[in-house]
Amino acid sequence: MVDVIKKKAKEVQESLFSSVGSSVLTIGTSYLVLNFFRGMFGFVMSSDKDWLAVLNNMQLYMVQAYPESDFIRVWISVGLTFVFSGVSIGLWRSDDRSNISVMFDRFYKLGLGVLFFTIVAPTFTSYMGNDGYVITEEVFSRSSRIGMLIPVLLITVGFFLLKNRKINFSFNNSDAVFLYLSIPIALIWIIELPTIQLDQNKDRIIPDPLMPIANTTKVPWTVIFVLFLLSYFIGIYFKEVKRLKNIMSISWFLLPLLIFSWIFKKPQIEMAEVLTGDIPIFLIFFAVGLGTVLLINNPIVKKYYSIYIGVVIVATIAGVFISIPMLAKACLLLLGLFVTVVPAVSTSQQGKKSLIIIWAVALVTLTFLLRGGASETGIVVPGSSIFGGFSLTWLLAIFGTYVSFPLGVLLALGRNSKLPIVRIICTGIIELVRSVPYITWLFFASVTLAVFLPAGVEFNLIVRVLMVTAFFSGAYFAENIRGGLQSIPKGQYEAADAIGMSPFQKIGLIVLPQALRAVIPTLVSSAITAFKDSSLVTIIGLFDFLTIGKTVIDNQSVPVNFVGHQRENLIFVAVVYWIFTFTLSRRSMKIEKRLGLGER
Amino acid sequence: MSIIQAKGVKKWFGDFQALKGISMEIAEGEVLVICGPSGSGKSTFIRCINRLEQHQEGEIVVDGTELTNDLKNIETIRAEVGMVFQSFNLFPHLTVMQNITLAPIWVRKKSRSDSEEKAMELLNRVGIPEQADKFPGQLSGGQQQRVAIARALAMDPKIMLFDEPTSALDPEMIKEVLDAMKELAKSGMTMIVVTHEMGFAKEVADRVMLFDEGMMVEENTPVEFFDNPKNDRTKLFLSQIL
Ligand SMILES: Nc1ncnc2c1ncn2[C@@H]1O[C@H](COP(=O)(O)OP(=O)(O)OP(=O)(O)O)[C@@H](O)[C@H]1O
Ligand SMILES: [Mg+2]
Repeated sequence: MVDVIKKKAKEVQESLFSSVGSSVLTIGTSYLVLNFFRGMFGFVMSSDKDWLAVLNNMQLYMVQAYPESDFIRVWISVGLTFVFSGVSIGLWRSDDRSNISVMFDRFYKLGLGVLFFTIVAPTFTSYMGNDGYVITEEVFSRSSRIGMLIPVLLITVGFFLLKNRKINFSFNNSDAVFLYLSIPIALIWIIELPTIQLDQNKDRIIPDPLMPIANTTKVPWTVIFVLFLLSYFIGIYFKEVKRLKNIMSISWFLLPLLIFSWIFKKPQIEMAEVLTGDIPIFLIFFAVGLGTVLLINNPIVKKYYSIYIGVVIVATIAGVFISIPMLAKACLLLLGLFVTVVPAVSTSQQGKKSLIIIWAVALVTLTFLLRGGASETGIVVPGSSIFGGFSLTWLLAIFGTYVSFPLGVLLALGRNSKLPIVRIICTGIIELVRSVPYITWLFFASVTLAVFLPAGVEFNLIVRVLMVTAFFSGAYFAENIRGGLQSIPKGQYEAADAIGMSPFQKIGLIVLPQALRAVIPTLVSSAITAFKDSSLVTIIGLFDFLTIGKTVIDNQSVPVNFVGHQRENLIFVAVVYWIFTFTLSRRSMKIEKRLGLGER
Repeated sequence: MSIIQAKGVKKWFGDFQALKGISMEIAEGEVLVICGPSGSGKSTFIRCINRLEQHQEGEIVVDGTELTNDLKNIETIRAEVGMVFQSFNLFPHLTVMQNITLAPIWVRKKSRSDSEEKAMELLNRVGIPEQADKFPGQLSGGQQQRVAIARALAMDPKIMLFDEPTSALDPEMIKEVLDAMKELAKSGMTMIVVTHEMGFAKEVADRVMLFDEGMMVEENTPVEFFDNPKNDRTKLFLSQIL
């Protein structure tokens, strides 16, 4: 024990006080850091600050004015995301294990942080009162300081002793995530946050500690946590089923669309329309696809196949102009893609079978999404937009990554393609999108985009923003990925050719994995940028997370007056942004390390 | 019946003619060594055999299939012709085992367990079974080249092409790769080897060819080639490298 402390002391001395210069630097920096933290603590604890402005507006922060009667939809979408994550974490769980001392070390460091706070927090703080006088108040009394110091010190020392003891117990790193998460879940049941009550004169009553603000969320969060845990076990149980991993990867791409078109939109569906429109269209297109796959090897069909493709393409183009149901237009487009890949893939019985399955799944998904996404929303919200706050920011971020990433991959591959038309189109899109500022695109989405869409097609503002966002970050992703593609030596392509791989296999198994791995850091920084840039949507009148904190709450006077409490909210918003981006960059570092194994 | 027939193969890179009419035949189980000065078109020629390069005139027939632009033919031929490159060209993001099983699983559509069993057999054959779970970057050059040989063999090819397989290797690693190739030759594989390893040519080749400026200037048995060459160009070449 004494040895350990001596060693630590020596380390500290060597790293911080090795020379006069470094000693001065250490002391100077410590002084600055200390004062900064004291200032911050004073700011946070001063009675001038009304943190209830943040706490009491959680609902606004999360979903803006989304109607309470439809909250179940939000919870379902959050729950679905967690269930997907749970299954994926389980499926891809690595066998990395850590010794229990790593966990103790974390708690020990957390203890040190709290200890630091209890020691350096100022006793008094002052602020400028309304009448111009400086008011000084006691914010952290000696007795409460000591009352906090002793238990924290004991706990910290306890974890310090535990972490230095050799305990032969290790845990799986993924399991630990759930242990850590269970702490906040338990806390929302224990800690009671006050909510504000008003009396008859609309004056504030002292917060009633019996009305915890987290009350409405604690049951849903707990249920979600339990589902998360269950799906994790399901994932582990089916770890060996390879097909499930593929299904899961594809589902991830569909999830944002599903959430958007079905959970946030609450489509109003006319059953008659479905019966007379959707189902017949679905059946007809399914039959056409099925026939194409089954008859492709017939010599007569083979001979006239190029004519058939031509007919489909002409029909697709015509379909855009004549008035047929939206679903039929989309299906025609899909059929055009489908018939061009059929000859290459349907060479074996296995290939035919998967083609038919893919066709059916694609049609079902398309019908489902169009029914949900294109129909009028049944969610009625006072004001212009359906929802805002963190859910909007989050949706833009998820969409900005999940949709623009594959788009970026396609654009990058297209720009490197041997076919001149494809190359020119892709280069054109990338250059056009990149050469105009994001804000301009946002205005384009809000004002001009409707002009370019076929008559009768109208999208909600958020959908239009999502469309330009997908293209905008897609173009940036594409350029990053292209950098990765160029770093792949010619020999890799030749080796893949020489063992007989098809062009698709070559791209999917050899080229892309290496190209993407080479550009993970830039991809992550693009994703982070997309996440933060989503706050720009405020200029076209959408209420994202930041806008809620900066503008909405600051102007709030009913039911409770929070005017003038911008700073608390800005700090809160900054902290939330920081938590998400920091987690993302830490994750990416881990992934990089794991993938870096095979690097030369 | 010969397994590869080439008739008057010509190839241009822009204005530059790299192959000026190569004709040759190789019988099943034969080992052919091609040598010649740098830039003489050796690589270009053997790369034409599995269509990594396209020839513009003449014809090449591999195992009864003519090499044309027909994608189907190219796929058939690439599955039957294995190739080993000077710079190994292993896939750095995959383990040795995955490098070898990739083509059997995805191209031949074999099951994973069968492919892995076969891969272990091949790794044993080239003498590095203990490296199966490493990544290429963690292996020495000689080991990497042997993995590359195993990877090509995993497709059960009828013909193996080697393009200077040892010239990127340190001298002490050359032997281990040559041993693996000798073993392969003895097992009856049809092989075309571009190399400057004359010891290897003397020991295992059935025939030796000399390329110069896009033409085949000499074709001979190894004994005759080294002891009694017909062509002056061959004499000059041998005097330079021996
Ligand atoms: N992709 C290409 N584009 C243009 N010229 C090429 C290309 N590949 C090869 N050549 C030219 O074709 C000629 C023959 O090249 P090749 O690589 O076949 O020679 P080689 O006999 O294998 O030589 P080395 O022993 O140096 O490998 C050379 O002059 C080379 O410059
Ligand atoms: Mg060469």
